[in-house]
Amino acid sequence: MAQINAVLSKFYNDYMSKTSKKLKVIDAYLFYILLTGIIQFAYCVLVGTFPFNSFLSGFISTVSCFVLGVCLRLQVNPENKNQFHGISPERGFADFIFAHAILHLVVMNFIG
Amino acid sequence: MKMSSKLLLICLLVAALASLSEASIGGYICPYSSKKFLDIASKALKADTQDISSLYHAANSFKILNEAVPANLKPVACQTVKKLFNVETLEIDNLFYGVESFKLLGCDGKLSTEGVVKKVQDILQNEKSSVASLHYASKTQTFLGQQISNQAKLAQLVQAQLKTDDSLLSLGHALHLAASLGQSGKFITERIEDIVVQADEVDGKLLQWEGGLSTTSLIITGLLQFPASSPLNQPQADKLANYLLSRLTVQTPKGISALLEAAQALATSKVSPVSISVTGQNSVTLDNPNLKIQVSDIFGKPLKTALSPVVAQSATRIADDVVVLAKQPLNVGAKETEFVLPLKLEPGYYKILLNAGPHSTTLTARVLGPVQVKTFEIGLSDADQSSAPKLEKLTHPNKLNKKLQGDSGQNLLVKFTLSRQVHQAFLRLSSGKKEIIFVAGHESNSQYKVEADLGQELPISDSFNIELIIGDSIITNPFRWQVGEIEIKITNAPTVASLKTLRGPKPEIEHMFRKPEKRPAKAVSLLFTGLTAAPFLILLILWSRIGVNLSNFSMRAVPFHLGFGAILGLFTCFWLKLDMFVTCAWLIPVGGFTFFTGHRLLSHMARSKKPEKADK
Repeated sequence: MAQINAVLSKFYNDYMSKTSKKLKVIDAYLFYILLTGIIQFAYCVLVGTFPFNSFLSGFISTVSCFVLGVCLRLQVNPENKNQFHGISPERGFADFIFAHAILHLVVMNFIG
Repeated sequence: MKMSSKLLLICLLVAALASLSEASIGGYICPYSSKKFLDIASKALKADTQDISSLYHAANSFKILNEAVPANLKPVACQTVKKLFNVETLEIDNLFYGVESFKLLGCDGKLSTEGVVKKVQDILQNEKSSVASLHYASKTQTFLGQQISNQAKLAQLVQAQLKTDDSLLSLGHALHLAASLGQSGKFITERIEDIVVQADEVDGKLLQWEGGLSTTSLIITGLLQFPASSPLNQPQADKLANYLLSRLTVQTPKGISALLEAAQALATSKVSPVSISVTGQNSVTLDNPNLKIQVSDIFGKPLKTALSPVVAQSATRIADDVVVLAKQPLNVGAKETEFVLPLKLEPGYYKILLNAGPHSTTLTARVLGPVQVKTFEIGLSDADQSSAPKLEKLTHPNKLNKKLQGDSGQNLLVKFTLSRQVHQAFLRLSSGKKEIIFVAGHESNSQYKVEADLGQELPISDSFNIELIIGDSIITNPFRWQVGEIEIKITNAPTVASLKTLRGPKPEIEHMFRKPEKRPAKAVSLLFTGLTAAPFLILLILWSRIGVNLSNFSMRAVPFHLGFGAILGLFTCFWLKLDMFVTCAWLIPVGGFTFFTGHRLLSHMARSKKPEKADK
């Protein structure tokens, strides 16, 4: 138990110290999306799926946002620079925004 | 009017029922037809016509039927003849009709016949005159009391004309003309056989010459003026007579005159057709068993030489081919032409072979008889046969004294016996406009039975009238007998029958929306809405703890954020009220603006960042 605590505290400290502020902002955003999705899912399990298309669009919206957020984080992370050569963080952010615009058009269409 | 329709009926019956045999004809020119002919002739005499021939034909019809022209018609008709008679304008045939009708009508005064003789002479001298003109001219001349001067020359003229035109019509006229020429007219006798051969036979029953009634009539009357050469044999005369009878519906004075002339020629010839037919109704009853049969000539008049004996050779029941009488002489009836055959027979259809002298025919007659209900039982039985049915006996005109009480588990059972078998036996149950008819099943020996499953056949609770319907073509007393009533109680069924409308609009189809599912309570929904929004607060807290760097936020960034906000706002509108097309139309400018500003902002940021990166 103590070991786990030690591992966790080390992980937390490393994260707080080594991760850049930009990534922390994105991580906070991802955490927010994750919570929202969990709450929607809990509602679906506890109360019911009606109206199903609304639930689906909401839940898919959160999942997609999460995926897009992860993508943005990968592109922005300086450690992955080799893999995303020639793609600046700004370019990544622009793609992120563009993908969101398309995604939400679909979501709004589906929400009913 | 009633009388005439009755006569018509009799006429039709006579024509339809008397079947034809070789040595006699069915039917004759019955009083109804004669009356109709006279009506048409009278109308023609009255009419203000330009056609002098119709007056002749009408007057001729009166003459043949031995009727005097009505006195009130005579002056009008004479006036018309006088008015129309004009040597200059009329052709020779109409001149002939004019002088002839003047005589037939018995007009007073004198027709101005000046110039007629000259015209006739011209025609008789002219080599180009047709046979018809020659015929009418010679007739007119004879009529005016002058002898035909040169009979041999006229005969030659006719023969020459026949070489160029030997149509049936010409030959007909030639026959008449030759008949008036005496010895010089002998030439035509060679042609008689040829003319007779040209007649067309229809179905082996009728004989006619091409050209219709007038041509046929012209040839018949022409041929029969040569009795020495016996132009027609008896079967031919009979078939010609049948043709004439088939044309009794003719409506024009010309047709009537032609028909009557031909009929008269046949009736007065040696081969006068014998008509054997049933007069009046062809059905007899037990009360009145006499079948009246007429043996006459084509006009319904007594034959010149009375035929005897008149014998019913045989009578056969059509249903089973049983011969019921043979060689029974007929009694003489009220008239000379009428013979009576008593038919005291079982009801049914009979075929009677009748001989009148050498002539024979086959007639169909119907003997009617009454039918009685011998026994009648009605009652209800259990559908599952669990108990013996209780049947109530009833005699014919009586009614049930109480209502039958039935339910869906029972059968209505009716058994009855009639004095004879009938074609139609029905049991009818009715209530208001509802009715159901059961066909009574014939069991044996005139026994009938109806068994109706009330549960299946009558799924309606109601009170029904029961009626027995008996009918047949050979019974005198078809009847409908109100037997009684039955009260039917059906459990688990609507009391009123759903009346299906056969026509008219169908019931309107109303669209059924799916029932919305049960929604959760409002509080729960609101709670979760709140919960879903809550993580946003966490996001803000986290961001504030991380310390978001807003220093880079400059005036440059404002348009981009505005544009992106506008896109999201547009999506919200799309969710709430807009449709896809309007949304896309708005998205293009807003998205374009956002893209442009975003591009400018980000490229600026990238440029300003590069030096920093280099520092790092």
